[in-house]
Amino acid sequence: MSSKPQALASTGPMRSFAANSKKVATELIEINESLLEFNKFLTEYYKQLAETWNEAQKKVNLKAPEVPQDVEQIEAFKRIWIDIFDNDFTELFDSKKFGENYGKLVSQELELTKHWNNITNVILQSANLPSKEEIDEVYKELHDLKKRVIKLEIEAKKKKVAKNEK
Amino acid sequence: MKSESRIDPKIMEEIIRFNKNVLQAPKLVAAPDEIILEVTPHDVVQEIDKSRLLHYKPLTDKQHKTPLLISYALINRYHILDIHPDKSWVRNLLQQGFDVYMLDWGNPTAMDKYLDFDDYINGYLDGAVEYIKNESSVEKISLQGYCTGATLATAYTTLHPESVKNYIATAPVIDGWRDTTVVSNLAKNMDVDKMVDTIGNMPPEFMYYCFSVLKPFEQGIEKYVNFFKNIDNKRFVDSFLRVEKWLSDTPPIPGELFKQWIKDIYQDNLLIQNKMYVNNSHIDLKKIDMPIFTQVAVGDHLVSPECSMPLHYAVGSEDKTLRMYPTGHVGMIASSLSQKKVLPELGQWLLERSEK
Repeated sequence: MSSKPQALASTGPMRSFAANSKKVATELIEINESLLEFNKFLTEYYKQLAETWNEAQKKVNLKAPEVPQDVEQIEAFKRIWIDIFDNDFTELFDSKKFGENYGKLVSQELELTKHWNNITNVILQSANLPSKEEIDEVYKELHDLKKRVIKLEIEAKKKKVAKNEK
Repeated sequence: MKSESRIDPKIMEEIIRFNKNVLQAPKLVAAPDEIILEVTPHDVVQEIDKSRLLHYKPLTDKQHKTPLLISYALINRYHILDIHPDKSWVRNLLQQGFDVYMLDWGNPTAMDKYLDFDDYINGYLDGAVEYIKNESSVEKISLQGYCTGATLATAYTTLHPESVKNYIATAPVIDGWRDTTVVSNLAKNMDVDKMVDTIGNMPPEFMYYCFSVLKPFEQGIEKYVNFFKNIDNKRFVDSFLRVEKWLSDTPPIPGELFKQWIKDIYQDNLLIQNKMYVNNSHIDLKKIDMPIFTQVAVGDHLVSPECSMPLHYAVGSEDKTLRMYPTGHVGMIASSLSQKKVLPELGQWLLERSEK
């Protein structure tokens, strides 16, 4: 990516622009790779849902083969349908195969988010704004400071009480 | 050949009535903003960061001396414990003469992502307990934890047993490996480090997903069909909307707190094995030696009874009571059963162990 034409265009203020576009292009390529992985787990996710739906519907058909004719029958059919679907889907959501695939799906989604965050950071830095990591550092610093202040306050309070007792 | 229609006219009547109800709904139903969830009068007596300590105004002339602090869950907000005058947990306890405080964890923002168990337990919870002790001139208080709020309250009680006179664990999340719910299956397979590093706080959207897979057809279809069927029933509609508003109000969970909760409870199951640490302090359940009352709902599909009950057997207390109720996670705290059975039993237990 650091080709001569790009290097030539990178003189002066354009230098960081060229470096940034290289970073963004790398992230975009990696996003495509992550997207492929994400789609793999998403397809499996919908496959599991569709298979469970079909199996549940088969069970409903076996249990309630007649088309409901009156209000009571419709109510009974609805109850059977909801119970079977809830049971089968809960069984799926409780299963190891669902849990593992869902975990990987979320992980890939986070991978995509990470790339998007990286691109955002490049843009933020090019505009002389703090990156997400830099803001996080401030949050961490604030959190640690607050803890120290609370600790000091408690110590001061204890000392005051001890002094008053004397 | 003439075809004979076999459709029952009542079915058509039902369909027409249902459609009419759907069309009428916007006129009959209040907008979410019009519903005020805070039912029982209270004062905000202390604020630490975004957490708030609420003190409910008494409803009896005389109150029992030992105050009660409720540590609500990390998911949704405390309003469910005071959702409706007829179903209010708080109001019922006030009517029984207890002095009730509630800890509202607040609404964390991006800058709170480093808040952890230590901040919640030794910061907000301990801050609330110390305030109440000072205000009531008592050395010990009664503490109740609900759901994940009970995980925090349990850890607190092991670290500060000298401040807790009685401990009530309501549907506590304790033994993650025994939990048979969908939530636990998702939690066990989660790359929580990556999640927190990438997005910071646990967003409400993810929580909504976790809830949507719990009884999806009963909760996603039947519940709303019933709502439209009962659109003329003011009491039903009011109650339904209050719970719906409560369900849709889930604050994010601070990243570090969420990380430790998922790892220590669901993935490594450290709490029940007495291997958990909070800011280098050991959480030893045997240190809970005061009277303890554990409340479990048999039909709980968010925290299974198998996840809650081990607390009863793990603590060091000699005075311990375990009660199981034929209801669900929310039914145990906000239903007619909770008013008629759960709260009177709790009140009696607490009364026998409170300073008069």
